Amino acid sequence: MTLLDRQNHRKLYVQLYDIMKKKIEDKEWSLGFRIPIEQELCNVFEVSRVTVRSAISVLVRQGYLIRQQGRGTFVSKKVISDKLTMFTTFGELMLEEGIDFSTDMLAQTIMMPVDDLADKLNVSGDKHIIYIKRLRKVDNKPILIQETYIPFHICPPLLEEDVRKNSLFELLERKHGIHLTRVRNYFDVKYLNADEGMLLDLSENSPALVLTQHFFSGETQIMYMRSIKRPDSFVFLIEFEKTDR
Amino acid sequence: MSKGKVVKDLMLDVFDYPHVPYWFTLSQAIKIIKVSFISAKKYPEPLAILVFDEKYNLMGTLSLKNILTGLEPRFMRPTTDAQAYTKEGPELALIWSTLFNKESKDLAEKPVSEIMVPAKYFVEPDDPITKAAFMIIHNDLILLPVLENKKKFVGLVRLIEIFNEISDAVLK
Repeated sequence: MTLLDRQNHRKLYVQLYDIMKKKIEDKEWSLGFRIPIEQELCNVFEVSRVTVRSAISVLVRQGYLIRQQGRGTFVSKKVISDKLTMFTTFGELMLEEGIDFSTDMLAQTIMMPVDDLADKLNVSGDKHIIYIKRLRKVDNKPILIQETYIPFHICPPLLEEDVRKNSLFELLERKHGIHLTRVRNYFDVKYLNADEGMLLDLSENSPALVLTQHFFSGETQIMYMRSIKRPDSFVFLIEFEKTDR
Repeated sequence: MSKGKVVKDLMLDVFDYPHVPYWFTLSQAIKIIKVSFISAKKYPEPLAILVFDEKYNLMGTLSLKNILTGLEPRFMRPTTDAQAYTKEGPELALIWSTLFNKESKDLAEKPVSEIMVPAKYFVEPDDPITKAAFMIIHNDLILLPVLENKKKFVGLVRLIEIFNEISDAVLK
């Protein structure tokens, strides 16, 4: 078994992260495998709980692991398409842009991070989060539920901004000077729960598209957004162009 | 107690306290309180957390006692004072522990809105602290929200600050 090297200049949690990541990549921890509980990992690697939590948090953020409340932490069954990185202008990726939405505001409030939200936003569990939930409609037909989470300290005035009429991205960039430099997108399919079905005018357990986006300004993650879409309302076009570099 | 002291002199910032929306479950609220227990620096503990609606209006507070009451098995709850379970001794603890695993874990999935105490009493930042003390004492509160112009929620006064202020004046 690989152990941590305490003479190594690399931080312990980074070394532990490397070991756990290798276990996943080598299929020693296969898809769906429940990893040992924190205390067990502490005992095996002779490290503190903080070190174990930090390593797990990074693996959760990167999609290798998934936490399930009350059940444990599992090797994610999702395929992470890290190699499929593309660069484009933000306008082309923002669902807010270029579509004539009307918007129902469902929530614009403050909460604390629960479940794995702190990991997803890369903040500690005692940080306040601005939570915005909007229902987007075209021709009065609901097509998109959009939930946005922004650490309160990133942009406190956003709590009082009119995000029903204004683009969140324009507010962040033009009004508050927070420049988005990178977005990581994950596409997924889910079955709607009763509330989501009611909002989208679909029955419970109907399939829907989910776009999960992590937005960065430099190295700081500033926003996490989850958009649930009616499958009959969107077509995603992703075009790659080969360059001669 | 120095003369002319007003609520805003003792007030804590709103964001020194954890916030939850009303649809959070009791178990989620408990986890949040436990995180705050560890990391809080400005206060030794959150004795209560704040419950808001979708538009960031304060709806109420959820104290540790409220949470325990919410987790208490229904069987233990008297419907009238006359029915209160008064028997002391190991049987009481046994009854609770037997019921706890069966029922309290389910109860922890209730939304906090079912358990919280609605916010009914407020003070303004420029109100004298004696007014805040009066309201806390006579309404059995551990904290009192501070509203600006009876509308904007700007902070909190806790029982401990009122106690410190008044006890200092008495001992002086």
